[in-house]
Amino acid sequence: MEGAFILNLTLLVFIYATRDKYLCLETATIYESNPNLLPSKMLKIRNVLNFAEKCSTRTRLLSSGAPQIAPAIDEPGPKESVKTEVLKHPDYFSVRDIFTVKDLFDARVHYGHREGSLESRMLPYIYGSRLGHIVFDLDKTAQYLRQALNITAHIAYRDGIVLFFMRQPQNAHLVETCAKECGEFAHTRFWRGGIFTNAEKQFGAVTRLPDLCIFFNTLTTILSQHTAVRDSAKMGIPTIGIVDSNCNPNLITYPVPGNDDSPAAIEFYCRVFKEAILRGKTKRKEHEAL
Amino acid sequence: MMRKIGIAFRPHNLLNIQNWLLSSRKILEIRTLSAQASSTTEIGSIDTGAPVENGDSKKNLSKAMKAYLDRAREHDEFMNAQRVEFEIGKRHLANMMGENPETFTQADIDNAIEYLFPSGLYQKHARPIMKPPEEVFPQRKAAEFDETGRPYHFLFYTGRSNFYQVLYDVVEHINEMYKFEDSMTRKNLQPDPMLKLNLSGTEWIAKSALEFRVVETVSDREYNTFVTAMDRLSNMPFAYKVKDFIMEYRVSLMNQSETYDAIKPQIREDGRESVTVYECRRKRAIGNVTVISPGTGKITINGQGISYFEGIQEREQILFPLIFSNMQNKVDIEAEMQNGGPSGQAGAIRYGISWALRSFVDQETMESMRLAGLLTFDIRVRERKKPGQAGARRKFTWKKR
Repeated sequence: MEGAFILNLTLLVFIYATRDKYLCLETATIYESNPNLLPSKMLKIRNVLNFAEKCSTRTRLLSSGAPQIAPAIDEPGPKESVKTEVLKHPDYFSVRDIFTVKDLFDARVHYGHREGSLESRMLPYIYGSRLGHIVFDLDKTAQYLRQALNITAHIAYRDGIVLFFMRQPQNAHLVETCAKECGEFAHTRFWRGGIFTNAEKQFGAVTRLPDLCIFFNTLTTILSQHTAVRDSAKMGIPTIGIVDSNCNPNLITYPVPGNDDSPAAIEFYCRVFKEAILRGKTKRKEHEAL
Repeated sequence: MMRKIGIAFRPHNLLNIQNWLLSSRKILEIRTLSAQASSTTEIGSIDTGAPVENGDSKKNLSKAMKAYLDRAREHDEFMNAQRVEFEIGKRHLANMMGENPETFTQADIDNAIEYLFPSGLYQKHARPIMKPPEEVFPQRKAAEFDETGRPYHFLFYTGRSNFYQVLYDVVEHINEMYKFEDSMTRKNLQPDPMLKLNLSGTEWIAKSALEFRVVETVSDREYNTFVTAMDRLSNMPFAYKVKDFIMEYRVSLMNQSETYDAIKPQIREDGRESVTVYECRRKRAIGNVTVISPGTGKITINGQGISYFEGIQEREQILFPLIFSNMQNKVDIEAEMQNGGPSGQAGAIRYGISWALRSFVDQETMESMRLAGLLTFDIRVRERKKPGQAGARRKFTWKKR
């Protein structure tokens, strides 16, 4: 009974650990409401708090440390002054209004996996658990997704190559169609090692690699991560990844916490990323015409 | 000289043959020819798929495109050189054979090579050949990306874009079928049984054929995926809607035109039609069989009736094709047999009758006769006795102690 209480308590603390301003308040509340709590147990809670805090800072560091995307070649395009202006604007392509948090909810993005498969690095992004299943904090998901959409639009604006990944046969066709519709690329098949790291041998010639990889799921099976995640990191290709509660977000440049299994969710991601890419491309065309 | 011929005997040694021919002839002729050839090869050169510009725009080419253009140029130059050499070699060959170089065809070349370099090698593709370079060197893909290095195909990074495009199309069709099926169910309509897709007599194209079509290597697992996907599509109730797509990837099981070239009947003095099959064989037996139509079912074997054979089995052998094709009282049979025993002779007559009956039955019966094995020559013969053994397989009695 007490064990269950501690577990619930720990989860509660996890949820609020990353919300800095509530941190002290909540700890105090816990202590007040449970005066019988032993000091040793309090210590445990504090350790958990520290850990969660560390996790959140690490992710923040990771996501802010994204490399600046330089155009792959010296292509003719919009003027340099226009380009700087585009870069300076915080949300030039207004990706903010592509979706709302309610859209996320309707697309079932908040569903995570069961508690047992929870990856501890995903703790900062979760809201809690219900009936033994993880629930994502959609406010955070929205924030990360907007960041990801922004970078996608910028790369599309600069004529970058975007490659979509998906390793579930059920949703593969959806992703391929999405890539086709927005004039980008898809890889939904078995990943032959070395496509990025040994491209010259694989394609028989010097080949331009993608400028952005978008993973609609980052796992190949339920246990192993997609090799392309590692290979992109090796080759310095920025990545966007939908990370579910059982995924490791460490190697992903722009992780987006959310459900990566339901067709509804995948459809939603396809829609928003396609929209962002098309906005980037339209702007590019407009500026080229100037 | 001997050494050079020795080299030429190596398989696929096209170049050596041509070099040998080159070295043995005048150079003056080569010059005029190479000028001719270079003017003709411009048409046949590989389409690079991207405009080659010089000057300012060269700066905008990506590394990938530059590398491709270099490769394409090298390949073009190589192929041009090969074409020139082939033309010269062809002319020399024609002169050697004392024929007109202008009208020297590929068939003539093959004959000449076979005559000049007789080969005892069993494998035909291992013998010396001389073919146009387009047939000798494998086909290459044109550029798959534009000047900025951006690939054309949306599945380019899978490395097998054409193959996966096929799979993509299959799924696209399946999804269409599902939608169509739903709409038909809502209207309470069933698929038309008259239009049902008939795939009998055809099979999915082989892996090698698929590889040739997509110009990509396809692994066994990928080929199985292809077959599974196509099976799934063709098993759908409304699959006849995408018949064209499915039939593109099917080939007929056998080339039927060869089997169905039936012998033309001769008109006899009495006005009846007859077909004679010469040298019908089975085991050691050999003979000629004549089928005469119309007839009454009269059978003559070496001047006797069916009683020529004492055994029931032999008589059944002879009657079987007639009964099978329902012609037992409609034709007369005449057979002259030599050598062999009763079963061999009966088998030879059976084969002769079946072979001749093709001229008097319709296409459908002919096909069922083929399926029944009546039109297949029986190659089985007596196996020789081996030394150290009692017979072909039987060993001598041997007791250790």
